[in-house]
Amino acid sequence: MKSSALITVLLGVIVFVSSCSKQPLNNLTQDETRIYITDRDSSANFATYKTFSISDSVAVIHDQYANKALTASDSAYIAATTKYMQQRGYVLVSRSQNPDIGVDVSRVYSTTGVINYYDYSGYYGGYYDPYYWGYSDYGYYMPYAYDVYQITEGAMSVDMLDLKNASTNKKINFIWTGLIRGEGIFSADNADTQVKALFDQSTYIKANN
Amino acid sequence: MKKILNIAAVTIFLLVTSATVHAQKGDVKFNLNYNYSMPMGNFKDNIISNSSPRGGTGEIIYNFSSKLAIGGAFGYQDYYQKYPRAVYKTGPNETTSAVLSNSIQTVPVMAKLTYSPAGNGGAVQPYLSGGAGAAFVDFKQYLGEFGSATNSVSFVAQAGAGVFIPFGKLSAAGLRLGADYNYVPYNKDGFGALNTLDVHAGVYFPIR
Repeated sequence: MKSSALITVLLGVIVFVSSCSKQPLNNLTQDETRIYITDRDSSANFATYKTFSISDSVAVIHDQYANKALTASDSAYIAATTKYMQQRGYVLVSRSQNPDIGVDVSRVYSTTGVINYYDYSGYYGGYYDPYYWGYSDYGYYMPYAYDVYQITEGAMSVDMLDLKNASTNKKINFIWTGLIRGEGIFSADNADTQVKALFDQSTYIKANN
Repeated sequence: MKKILNIAAVTIFLLVTSATVHAQKGDVKFNLNYNYSMPMGNFKDNIISNSSPRGGTGEIIYNFSSKLAIGGAFGYQDYYQKYPRAVYKTGPNETTSAVLSNSIQTVPVMAKLTYSPAGNGGAVQPYLSGGAGAAFVDFKQYLGEFGSATNSVSFVAQAGAGVFIPFGKLSAAGLRLGADYNYVPYNKDGFGALNTLDVHAGVYFPIR
């Protein structure tokens, strides 16, 4: 056999065999594409908080800008977050009743690259101005950083803010963040199970009633 | 992966060219085998426990006596496993719930020595083989649909045994059946060795 013919045969074999490779992304269901990431302030004692308030709409953060929205999916996320906070023993109150915890729900998109959550209050067009939670003189502070908290496409996030100690700390600390990424996350039908997943892996979120 | 295939193609070209030169002096054969690979040890316990039916090997052998042959070997194997959803600790206080998928493709390229104690006269000719070289490893790991990839080169050493079964008494072509143990001390990103036990079946034939 001539060497050129042999090379052709071998290359054909290599291409054929490599084409038989399992492609991991082609072997995932929509549910399996999703990941649920949570992080917390390790110094926060969740048992010391009793009440919470949740934003009345969802912040749609697109690159460095934000606006409010309330689609069916957004409402489902707010309802689910409220439900699981109450299941953990926290009492829902209005913003005017000095809640211990402020809860924000956000949809995050990025077409330009990575969104850095340290820029939380600075970028997003005022929706997350601390004034929303009644502390216009304070800034936000996130005492933790995500290893994989880099959003280059869509994500859904739920953040808990320490309003109880804002005056003492002179800033609004993040005490917990849950992030959902993957396919089909902006669906009202999936909202409850996805928020449940965040709470299921955060057993430390529990009021001391 | 394309880079690895390009390197493999160049290596094959060099092996074939080399074999063609050696063919002026002796008997040069080519083996083409289907390969079934079973991860062992750390590879099986911590990375991928599934055996891989997706692989092949090729080998060019120059018989410089009736019992001894030297040659060059290459291969391709695809390993894959998807683990059910679980919660992983991904930072000091960070946890991630995800379906974990590991995907590894290896392309070993080795120099080999084959010893056939009974020579090449029987209907079934047992052999022992040993080899060493480099394995190009493409390791991809996914949490859900979010992945990372590492391409690297690792040392590989191999020991094997099997039989050649000529198609006829005077035939220079035949079947080859055998098994190899591959030692691949990968040791990247906290992962250990990628050792495997492989079984293969194929054909051999003269190329000159």
